[in-house]
Amino acid sequence: MSRFSLSWRAGLWAMLLPYLVGTLLLIGLPALISGVLAFTTYDALTPPVFVGFANFRLLAADPIVTTAISNSLVFIVLAVPLRILGALALAMLLFRPRRGAGGYRAAAYLPTVIPDVAFALIWLWIFNPLFGPVNVALGALGLPQPGWLADAETARYPFVIMSVFQIGEGFVVLLAALRGLPRAYFDAGAVDGAGRWALFRYLTLPLMLPWLALLTFRDIILSFQWTFTPSFVMTGGDPYYATMFIPLVIYEEAFDRFRFGTGSALMLVTFLLSVALIAAIYLLFRRRGYVADV
Amino acid sequence: MSRDRGPLRAFLGDHAVPLLVAAVFLLPLLWMVTASLREPGLPPPRTVEWLPLAPAPGNYAEVFELLPFGRYLLNSLAVVLLAVPLTVVTASMAGFAMALVERRSRVALVVLSVALLMVPLTATWLTRFLLFSWIGLTDTLLALVVPALAGSSPLFVLIYFWAFRRVRPEVFEMAHLDGAGAFTAWWRVGLPAVMPASVAVAVLTFILYWSDFISPLLYLRDQELYTLPLGLRQLQQLDPTGWPLLMAGAVMLTLPAVLFFLLVQHLFLGERGLGRR
Repeated sequence: MSRFSLSWRAGLWAMLLPYLVGTLLLIGLPALISGVLAFTTYDALTPPVFVGFANFRLLAADPIVTTAISNSLVFIVLAVPLRILGALALAMLLFRPRRGAGGYRAAAYLPTVIPDVAFALIWLWIFNPLFGPVNVALGALGLPQPGWLADAETARYPFVIMSVFQIGEGFVVLLAALRGLPRAYFDAGAVDGAGRWALFRYLTLPLMLPWLALLTFRDIILSFQWTFTPSFVMTGGDPYYATMFIPLVIYEEAFDRFRFGTGSALMLVTFLLSVALIAAIYLLFRRRGYVADV
Repeated sequence: MSRDRGPLRAFLGDHAVPLLVAAVFLLPLLWMVTASLREPGLPPPRTVEWLPLAPAPGNYAEVFELLPFGRYLLNSLAVVLLAVPLTVVTASMAGFAMALVERRSRVALVVLSVALLMVPLTATWLTRFLLFSWIGLTDTLLALVVPALAGSSPLFVLIYFWAFRRVRPEVFEMAHLDGAGAFTAWWRVGLPAVMPASVAVAVLTFILYWSDFISPLLYLRDQELYTLPLGLRQLQQLDPTGWPLLMAGAVMLTLPAVLFFLLVQHLFLGERGLGRR
């Protein structure tokens, strides 16, 4: 690249500066400081006091926290596979050019652009146990009408269902990935007499696995945070803490009770949980020789 | 009729499944609009109401009477009017530079950006709040706009990076030989060559800031500064079961995002997607 002058290259790095410095200040540094605050008691008024692992012992002894952690994990186990498979199914159904394909793709993406608060309120209405369209429809069909968000047994399912409606980003990524697959493989497969299922199982799926793995990892991390607005707006964690998720606890610890130390500690726990989940999935697939080239 | 059955059957064979899928994904939007037009005070519905039978558009005006939604609208507009142009400038500069630096730095920057996409914003809530209150940004609209100084999201920088990589590098070499600096080349040659990416990033940035609920929730106390998402939450606290008004508020918050998205959806979803070489 020596055909570019030094001042040109300096100019390029100057253009990268706002992005790099800003990201460092807004994401990198806050995340690091949060990791340090996790070992202190801090109320934002008096200076932080180092307390070792006391915050983590407090968290472990708090039944609301342990409930929130298990709720978040159950949500991820239910929602992430559905979201990834849903995005893959949408992409496979709609990636081929045809009449109306643009409209179908736009329709599938639309719920993803609905602002979070509005989205939460819409689903609060849809799952209203008495008058919401879901239960009214179930009643009209003579089926049982669950209490949904009002019932601790069923409260988590509306969260999972609504999260599956916001899969536009994964859909777009997989759409682009499917278009990038080498056609020749599929032609060869078809010539060899492979059926549609065989083509999917032995060509599409292995070729798409790096993308699916990347999306799964991202989805696991983002799912911890995604639950905040729905739980904050729809239930506040009720009934009986059935919809208490990690970010809601962090919010209440820090911004209602000014306990920035325990809030940060819970963040660190969340981070370690995500890393553990991702490592487990990576090892699981790698042992089967799938994601060797991620 | 029987003559039409052949083509009709063929059409349904091709389109039944995608039509059904599209309908399912549009249901939440349809139910939101229908509920927003329902006369308040009517007995609750006994059957699924697909369309409003006697539309009551007055719900929309009433939202403005209950809360200063006009004020919130202005605040929201101020935020996006600042954030969108800023983001287009900072993200395109970074993406442009990323596309033209030498290979080793380029790979490192792409890896860094993808890694940053994985950082949940939850991890920055507390310390960003402490940082903002330390430098006096809390309770100002600027607190909501600050990320735009850094391109708003690594995704936007990556979109620009891919777009600039698709421009033939000779174009920039020519500009360089003509004596243009990197900034001039970005502004005069680079940006005009990636207009679709700019439109896409502008719309995505608009949706991001327009929808943002968590930043104003964390950084704003003064009701005068509330943006629309906080206003909608306030409406819910005022009357948690006033569904027609709540849904009218939700429609008003959702409509601009949906319209802008529909204007540019072909850039992401069309046959020649943005990410395609």
